[in-house]
Parts: sequence; C-alpha cells; structure tokens
Amino acid sequence: MQLAWSLDGLIAALFAVFGLGMIVTRQMLGVLQLFILHSLALAASALVLAVALGSPHLGWVAFITLTTKVIAVPLVLRWAAGSEIYERREVDQVLTIPISVLVAAGLALIAWVVAGPLVNAIHDRPFAAINVPTGLMSLLFGAFTVSVRREGVAQLMGLLIMESGAFFASIVLIHDLSVIVEVAAAIDVPIAVLVIGLLIRNINRVTGMTRVGLLAELRERR
Amino acid sequence: MSPITTHLLINLVQVVFLLLFSPLLEGVLARLEEIIQGKRGPSVFQPYLDIYKLIGKDEVVSEESTWIFRFAPIINFTMPVFVVLLIPALTSYPLFFAFMGDMVAVGFLMALGGFFVSLAAMDTGNVYGPIGASRTRMVGFLSEPVFILVFFSVSYIANATIPYIVNATWAESWSSMLQPAHLLVVIAFFMLILADEGRIPVDSPSGKVEIAMIAHSKNLEYSGTSAALMKWAGAMKFMILMIVFLNVLVTPWGLATTARLSDVLIAIPAVLLKLFVFVVVLAVIESSLAKLRLFRISEYLATAFVICLFAMSVRLAGLG
Amino acid sequence: MVLALILLVPLAASLLALGNHRVAPWITLVATLIVLLLSGRAIWAVVDAGTVSALGGVLTLDPLAALYLGLVAFVGFTAALYSVGYLAARRAGQTEGDSTPRYRQYHPLFNVFLASMLAVPLAANLAVVWIAIELTTIFSAFLVAYEDSAEALEAAWKYVALTSMGAMIALLGVLLLYFGITNAGQAPTWAGLGLAAPGMAPAILVTSFVLWLVGFGAKAGLVPMHTWLPDAHSQAPASICAVLSGVETSGALYMLLRIYPSLSANPGIVNPQGWYLVVGLVTVATASLLILQVQDFKRLFAYSTIEHMGIVLAACGLGAGAHDLGATYQFFAHALTKSFCFYAAGLAVIVLGTQRIDVAGGLMKRSPLAGWSLLLGGIAIAGAPPFALFVSEFEILRTGFTAHQYLATGLLTVFIVLAFIAVMYQLGQVVFGETTDAAAAPVSPLPLTCRAALLIAAVPVLVFGVYLPPRLGELIRAAAMLMGGAP
Repeated sequence: MQLAWSLDGLIAALFAVFGLGMIVTRQMLGVLQLFILHSLALAASALVLAVALGSPHLGWVAFITLTTKVIAVPLVLRWAAGSEIYERREVDQVLTIPISVLVAAGLALIAWVVAGPLVNAIHDRPFAAINVPTGLMSLLFGAFTVSVRREGVAQLMGLLIMESGAFFASIVLIHDLSVIVEVAAAIDVPIAVLVIGLLIRNINRVTGMTRVGLLAELRERR
Repeated sequence: MSPITTHLLINLVQVVFLLLFSPLLEGVLARLEEIIQGKRGPSVFQPYLDIYKLIGKDEVVSEESTWIFRFAPIINFTMPVFVVLLIPALTSYPLFFAFMGDMVAVGFLMALGGFFVSLAAMDTGNVYGPIGASRTRMVGFLSEPVFILVFFSVSYIANATIPYIVNATWAESWSSMLQPAHLLVVIAFFMLILADEGRIPVDSPSGKVEIAMIAHSKNLEYSGTSAALMKWAGAMKFMILMIVFLNVLVTPWGLATTARLSDVLIAIPAVLLKLFVFVVVLAVIESSLAKLRLFRISEYLATAFVICLFAMSVRLAGLG
Repeated sequence: MVLALILLVPLAASLLALGNHRVAPWITLVATLIVLLLSGRAIWAVVDAGTVSALGGVLTLDPLAALYLGLVAFVGFTAALYSVGYLAARRAGQTEGDSTPRYRQYHPLFNVFLASMLAVPLAANLAVVWIAIELTTIFSAFLVAYEDSAEALEAAWKYVALTSMGAMIALLGVLLLYFGITNAGQAPTWAGLGLAAPGMAPAILVTSFVLWLVGFGAKAGLVPMHTWLPDAHSQAPASICAVLSGVETSGALYMLLRIYPSLSANPGIVNPQGWYLVVGLVTVATASLLILQVQDFKRLFAYSTIEHMGIVLAACGLGAGAHDLGATYQFFAHALTKSFCFYAAGLAVIVLGTQRIDVAGGLMKRSPLAGWSLLLGGIAIAGAPPFALFVSEFEILRTGFTAHQYLATGLLTVFIVLAFIAVMYQLGQVVFGETTDAAAAPVSPLPLTCRAALLIAAVPVLVFGVYLPPRLGELIRAAAMLMGGAP
C-alpha cells in the first residue's frame, strides 16, 4: 500500500509536470507529444489504483484511456486537421513564458487550497489526497492554456487535459461507474477531437492561419 | 594501519579518483554523442592525450593581463579538489573534512572558481571573452534560485544540509525514494546540470563558433599548462555535479559503508558504473534536443524553477 | 418504449439524410413531427403518472424533464420546417464570391444534434446527461459554421472552445456529485440526488455546485462566460439560432435549476439563493446594458437570451415562493418566444439582405409579414402584455416584492425595463423607416415553409399569454414543485 501510495504520488507529479510543459511548449508537435505523455500518466495512475484497490473496473478505465487518448486522439487529429499544422509554432504569445509559468504555479497553489476542504470531506478513499488536487490542478492548467494560447491545436489540447484532470480526480472516487458510461465518455473525446480538428482545418482554409486567438472580427463596432 | 592513516588514505583516494577519471568521463560522453550522430568519434582517452600535450607546450600570456589571468586556472583547478572532500563521492559516511562545509559551501566553492574565471576572461582584452563571461553570469544568476530551492528542498527532508546526511535519508528505503517531491527535484536538478555545464539545450559543447559560445569562450585565451588546467578543471566540475546528482539524489547506493580501504576501492567501479549509465542517458537526451536561443534560456530556467517550487510545495503540504 | 423511440427516430433520420440530400429536409421534417407526437404522448403520461421510465430505468422522465422535452420537440419541429425553405432561400440569395454553405451536412447534423438534446432530459444517469450536453456542443459546431465565412468559423470556434471548457469544468462537478450520491447509497439519478442531498458533506456539494455554476453557466451564457453567445447565435442560420437560443442554452440552465433543490435541502449550505440571485442579477444587468449598443438584430436577440437566462436564475434566487411558478413559466415561455423571434429575424435577413441595424430599415414597407412578425417578436421577448413572458415576469416580480426582497427585485425591474426600451428602440429602427439603398435587393417571395413555421411558432406565443391549457398548467405546476417551491 505504501508502495502504491508512493507510485501514485510519483505519477501525479509527472502529471503536473506534463501539464506545465503543455503551457510552455511553443511547437504544436511538442504539445501533442506532451499530451500523449499526460494521458499515459493518467492510464498509469488508473492501473496503479486498479492493482492497489483491487478494482477491475479501473483496469478497464486504464485500457480505455490508453486506446482513446493515447492512440486514437493523435491519429484522428492528424487526419482531421492535416499534418502540416504540427509544424506550426507559436511565435508571439499573449503572456511571456516565464510569466505563464509563474501563473501556473499560482494556479497549482489555488488548486491545492481549494481541494483541501474537499479532501477532508471525503472519507474511505485512500488516494484522494493525491489525485483530487492534481486533477483540479490539471483542470486549471487546461483552462489557462485555452485562454492564453493562440494556436488552435494548443487550445484543443488544453480542453483535453481539462478532461484528463477531471478523470484523474474521479478515478479515486468512483469505482463503479458502469463500463458503458465509461466507454461513452471515452468515445466522446475522439469525436470532439475530430470535430475540432475539422474546424481548425476549415479555419486554416478560409483565413489562411490557425492562430485562432487572433480571430476577432465579431464585436460591437461603434 | 592506524585509523588516522586510513582516513587520510581514503581522502587521498577520493581526490585521486576525481582527478583520474574526470577526463575519461568527458571522453566517453564526447565519443557517445559522435556515435549517436553516426560518426566514429575520437578515442575515449583523447582528453588525457590533450592534457598531456598541452602541458608540454609553451605558454603565451598577454602583456595586458594581470595576476588574475595567471591565477584563475589554478584557483579553478583546486576548487573541485576541495569540493570532492565535502561530498559523498565514494563513501556514504562523512570523511574528515565533511563537516567543514555543507552543500551551500559546495556551491560557494564552485562559484569562487567561476568568479575568477569570469574575471580572467575579461582580463585579456579579447572580444569573445567578456561576451562569454557575461552570458555565463546570466545563466548563473537565472539558475541560482533553482540551485537554492533544490538544495533546500532536499535538506528539508533530511533536516540537514550536509550531503552525507541527505544521502543517508534517501537511501533508507524504496518508498522514500519514490516520493513526488523527490522526482520533481530530480527533474529540476537535471535541467540545472544541463544549464550549468553548458550542455545542449543551453550551450553547445562541441561548437566552435565563438559568437554563439557561452561557457567555452572563457578558455579561448589560455595556452600550455594553463589551458590544460582549465580543461581538467572543467571536466572535474562536470564530474562533481554528476556525483552530487547521482550519489545524493538519484541512486544513493553502491558507496562504501565502512572505513576499510578495500571497501572504498570496491566502491570505485560501482560509482563509475553509475556515472557511465548517466552519461549514456545524458548523451541520448543531448542528441535529441536542439540548442535554445539565448533569450529562451530564461524560459527554460523559469520552468525548472517552477518545477522546484512544485516540489517544495508538495513537500510542505506533507504529501511526500 | 416511447422514450426510446424518441431518441432512435432522429438518429435513424440522420443516417437516412446522409444518403440523399435532396430528400433530407423532408426526412428531417417527418422525423421531428414523429418526435413531437411521441413527446406529447410521453408528457401526457407524465402528467398522469408523475414519473415515467423506460428500458429498466436507463431513461426516465419527470415533470420538469417532461417540460423541457416538450420544448425541445416543439422547437425542433418548427426549426426543421423553417429550415426547408430558409436554406433554399439563402442558397439562391448568395451572390458570386460568397463562401459555399455546407448544405449536405446540415440535415444529418441537425438530426443528431436534436437527438443529443433530447437525451438531456431523458437520460437517467447524471454522467450520461453530461455526455449528452457535451455532444450537443460538438454536433452543433458545424451547424454554427454553416455560412463558412471567416466570421462564422470564428463564431464556431469560440462557441466550441468556451462551451467545451465549461463542459469539462462541469464534468468534475458531475463526477464529484456522482461520488457523493453513490456514497450515500442512492442511485446516480436526479431522484437519487434529491434523496442524498440532505446528508451529503457540504464541502462536496458546494464544490460541485461552484463547478456546475461555472461550467454549465458558460454553456447557458451567464456573465462573465457569455462572450461566445452573441457570436454563435448571430452567425448561425436562423433555424439553428432558434434551436440554440431557445432550447440549448435552456438545457444548461435546466441543469442549474435541477441542482437548486438539493442545495436548499442540505443544512450545511448557507444561502444558496444568494448565489443564484447575484449571478442572475449580474447577467441581466450586463445583457440589458449590452443591448443598448448592439449593431446587429440577431445579436440583439442573443443578448436577450442571456438576459432571460439571468431572469430565471434570479427568480430562483428570490427566495420562497418566487421560483415555483415564475421561474418555470419563464423557462417555458422563453423557449417558445425566442424561437419565434429568430424565425422572424431570419425572414428579415432574407428580405433585407443584411443583419446590421444601421444599414437595414423599412422592413414593414418591404414585407408586411416579416415586419409584423419581427415587431411582435420584439414586443413578446421584451416582456410586454399580452404575451406569455409578461405573465411570468410579473409573477416573478410580484413574489419578489411580497418576499420583501425589495432591492433585488427593484434592480431586476429596472433592468427588465431597460432591456424593453433597448429592444424596442433597436427593432423599431429595423422595422420602420425607409429602406437604405445598400440593402435594396429584389424582394423574393418568402418561402412557404418559413411562413408555415412562423405561424406554427406564433401560436404558443400569442395564446399562452392569455390562456394556458389545463394539462399544461398541471405540468408546469408539477415541474415547479420539483424545483422546491411551495404549491
């Protein structure tokens, strides 16, 4: 149990570091690779918990995460958005990277503080103290990424790590979500990636760029 | 042999270990990188041959330079020798001088050497020297916060700043190794080693373009024995950082636990093996990254800083 | 069985519509008509029996859900009818150099979008409801981007990014709530939530609620997460705008209304009404002020949607008695009225050729039908008598004053009046006056299906202000009781 606790803590640390990396990486391919690692960390945590708590359902969660997020999402995105978007890099940023990184540290602190009373209220879920704050942290990192980055792929990855964060927090809490629901929630991710990828492709076709943060035509003009 | 003599001998062995094997490490790293790039690379003993050749040559010293230029190589060379007496290089118990300085003292000694070398780089009037010195200082001050946070994060667990005690705390059990704060500190310190040692992604160790050099332009003006000392000192500094990283943070095992000379001698290949494995990992990582542009180095170090901050907060939150 | 068919029919229609795009509009129309009839049957059953379930509890329907289901079915039907003529008119009206609309994808996507929206009230498991809400966003992305111009794509991107962000935040809230409910030994459905709420640890319930408020609030267009709404609801074709504004944002609001009784039931939570009231008032205030400076009449209606969402929330928050009939009736009437408004706006766009208020003008002269319907729509949505929204707003304000919440109700009145004036002023510029040359295009006859849809949509708007059929009244009363009010 002690080993499982340490391992889970380790995986949570990697989860946080990969999320941080996604905020600072400029290249879209790098963001995608970090997302794959991030999802691998989620699957690994589910596996560790499956073994430690003796819950086969969590083993299924790990397997489903692996197939949808690690394998299906990059393939679907590549097909939908076209492979040349991976050569994009974000040249100008809304916030400079050191400031983004410090804001991320602040968000991590907020996640810790908010998750405190929540974790205290949760009884008989041994790993909640590790996973719930880390999941909340990933949620905040993802929201920050969507707000701050200009490139379409980076914003999409931000959305996906928000969902990963929500799942990371919930795998310690819910041990019996029926497999059908789990599969449905998992299939929802590649569908979303497909649609958003096609949207990016169309934005690229019509406006000639994928820096969706710069689209600002619609507003009230005086 | 009396205990005093054994202790003195072990100290000596540690110093000789550092002096002898640091050029080998450099040679192995250079060769590995060349092999990964598909070339044959120089012999792993090339640095020894270089040092030997340089010692045999005449020295040319600029008339404009002052005593700093002549003494900097000597100071740079002796600092690592002092440092190795303070850190767990071959033994897991503190040696004679260990309590004379802790990790902060280690940092101070290394900084002293770097300080004199930077001054000497500006001493000769060569253009590239000051450029390199100022860039090195920039990387230095950006990485200071990370260094300090790493050391204090690590000391916070062990409740001491002496490296040996920290080593003992980590070496207790597997689970104390597998803590998230530990992993984060390891990641941050690794990024720091890359920055401080002038490795990719911060600086190119094999590049010869003076205008892009950061750390290596400080050695440009030296010749003869001074150049040999500078080269050797660079290799020793690298080995010291690796020893601190491996023996204190990552793999605190394989060190001699008793004060017998034979144990210490057996520890030498064990430590060399660890260093070699780390060199392989380093070569692979270096070959897969690209050098960062100068102004991006601050972002790189800012990320290392925040990772360390995470480590501290995880530790302070009591979650391991 | 009926409930399962309600979901299966649009899915089947979507597949059929993929096959042949000439017949697709009619397939969609037939499918939505069937769905409307089936929903009517289900609602009838709910009014009789209280709660209906199917497929062994996978699908359930209680009065509040039945109300929302009816709204989705009706608006879906009128939108399908409207889009038959509207899309054809827009295609004919495109000049050379305009971007190509996505005609073939429209009907399959529309059906699947409708199916996911129908799943929101029908699904029993909370996690499945979340999935349905996320899918409504995903499937409507390309419906919003129908025009395929840079603005439409920008609107679609903002819509998808911001609402998905909200959905992910809400996901954590849903999963936390799921944990709290199953930990208390209840089934993870709305009924289970109601049973488990009194005993749940307040920290869990509060955290879930805040996450829901931010997450589903982003989807409902609550301030300050509303920035996507005017863009998406103005760039989409009018039939889609009607569905989005009328029922999709109401869907997110529905989630917020359903968690409200649980918050009141838990003794550890202090003043949940305060939250709802403040958020509602801020939303209404911002929306009313923004209507003053809007420059596009479809954006006007979008801001009006934001305002009405705020009114419903504020009604919930106005304490005992205000939220039972007022909020539910407002929720009900808004969906019907807003869809009518957008149909009228779509006709105005066909006639005038532009959405901008300063360029358009003289709608009444050019097409009396479009002019009168836009005017009536504007009056109805602004909350004037004798329309349904007037009744509900009056009810809300009256119960707010009798509950001694003078400041809040006073502010609400001020903002509602402000919005009224703003809407009337802006629409007056479009409906009356002279046409400017820039918008002078040959007047093509308005499509028959559009006019039919307009008329059908007008019936509830005109009738429900004065007369409410008794069965419907019972349904609304039952729904209101589920929201925790006194009978």
